[in-house]
Amino acid sequence: MPYLAELERAGIPTVVIDFSDQVEVVKQQALESGVPAIRSVHASRTLPGPADADRIVVLILEELTRPLTAREKESGIHNPDSPRVLFEGSLEEADVFYHQSRMVPYPLNAPIALYTDGLPVRIPTEERVLEMLKGTNHRPDEFITYQTSREGTIVAEKEVGERKKGDLVKFPPMNMTATVERVAVNAVMAGCKPEHLPVVLAMAESGCPTGTTTFHGQWVCVSGPIVNEIKMNSGYGMLDPGSPVNVPIGRAYQLMGINLGGAVPGVNRMNAIGNPFNTGGTCFAERAEGMPPGWKGMNEEYGFGKDESVIMCMNGLFGIQGRQFSPGGYRAFQKSGHGGIARRLNVKGKPGPHNWLEYIVPGLWANQEGGWTFVMVPEMARHLYEYGFKSKEAVYEWLWKKSFMPVKEYRNYSWTDLRTNGWMGIEKTSGKPWKELPDDYMVPAAGDDPSNFLIIVAGGEEEVCLELGGRLPDIVADPVFSIDAWR
Amino acid sequence: MADKGKIYKCLNPTGIQVPVRTFPLAPRLNTIQGKEIWFSICGEPDITIALERKFKTDYPDVNWRVKKTYGVAPVLLSDEEMKTCDGLILGVAW
Repeated sequence: MPYLAELERAGIPTVVIDFSDQVEVVKQQALESGVPAIRSVHASRTLPGPADADRIVVLILEELTRPLTAREKESGIHNPDSPRVLFEGSLEEADVFYHQSRMVPYPLNAPIALYTDGLPVRIPTEERVLEMLKGTNHRPDEFITYQTSREGTIVAEKEVGERKKGDLVKFPPMNMTATVERVAVNAVMAGCKPEHLPVVLAMAESGCPTGTTTFHGQWVCVSGPIVNEIKMNSGYGMLDPGSPVNVPIGRAYQLMGINLGGAVPGVNRMNAIGNPFNTGGTCFAERAEGMPPGWKGMNEEYGFGKDESVIMCMNGLFGIQGRQFSPGGYRAFQKSGHGGIARRLNVKGKPGPHNWLEYIVPGLWANQEGGWTFVMVPEMARHLYEYGFKSKEAVYEWLWKKSFMPVKEYRNYSWTDLRTNGWMGIEKTSGKPWKELPDDYMVPAAGDDPSNFLIIVAGGEEEVCLELGGRLPDIVADPVFSIDAWR
Repeated sequence: MADKGKIYKCLNPTGIQVPVRTFPLAPRLNTIQGKEIWFSICGEPDITIALERKFKTDYPDVNWRVKKTYGVAPVLLSDEEMKTCDGLILGVAW
């Protein structure tokens, strides 16, 4: 949208083709770009292309020629008021105020909470926020800025240029800004304690994108000494309800997306079904003490020290897959080579350690290309180590090599048109245009190199591995933020 | 425990909008005939393939130019291209 605004300001009339259920997204982005009246024509989600083209071609050209209305000729300053104190009254009255909702019309036609995630929140009185602010040395009126410089990327389907240390963080989809105090307000509402605030501020540095369309799911993972310091649950049920640390921190992400970003289902957060990660928020922690010898923690993998605390903020498109075996069957396989897994991998009767990843590899790319983030319990990480993977990087390399498939097969996945820029781009491992590669040429389904994998060791003792969207799911590069910078 | 009858100041959790200077739309064209109109494609090929064909066959008097990507961000016009561009249609439809 900034592009169209630039053209309009240069005197070039434009029109954008969108869908009718994206009208509000277009309007908001147009306003934010400084040309609020940008014209649009709605394509159909269901008509075949030729029939739809027949339907809208005249409409498109009309928008380039129909004279401007008085409103479309207006200029001015958009500067909505954002008072520090939002409400004054008794706590009972505040309860009613903060829990109000509004009807979101077509395409939703349902009420959506105005300031909350739909659950009750802790009312952010000035006293409570002041108490929360004891969790950081940063000033309440300091704006949230990047604590380190970051490369350009695409976040939540929007291009984000290079961000330098000190640049203001913009919270999508409305690209608003926030002070330390406003983050603390959300932390209070989520039920956080002051010692959680540096983690919440580090999350805020991510901009807390909520994405739009498809199946965006947000989860955050903490790595480093702060995990034990604030008593996060990195073991049994770390993704389940119960932790007074994981749960409110995860919830704070969602509240910041809603309040600081202005994300509203049916308006500018168009997850068609939604994602269970986002309900109540999802925060968990790496279990450093469960790591096999020599394996790096997530903090070290991203260039931080072992003694530094970081948070990974993921806004992935690909949801979650679960274990593909019974834990008992897995144990029989590793202990003595019994059971179905042993039969499939042809190690019947041979005690482990075995490479259990062999068992799940066929399913990894059965219906989707790209890398994976594995959340595996310490025992299963240890089996990989004992099998011979003395580093995480060795596992990533092995997985990447396993992902190679013929171009003919790769062509049949749904995201590859996008990944290859409609097959007009260059295949990175060969350096050749995609269109020149023969059908039997082998390409990696997991991406250009092994860096799209990530292993997080966490959880209890029952043998389970989860597979989440990859480490770099195209929309979030550089997703790790320093917590220590916000202490 | 809340003090009965006490009035509390409750703080604002929402983001702060950076002030935006707003501008009018560019004047529209009085005709498309003989104009250079760009079709900037950055979305689903289904409708854009048909549209590109239809623009060119139904409106042959227009100087149609095309920028194409399958990605989410459009391929930008160069400064030189902007000098002769009379209008642009962004086919984004994701």
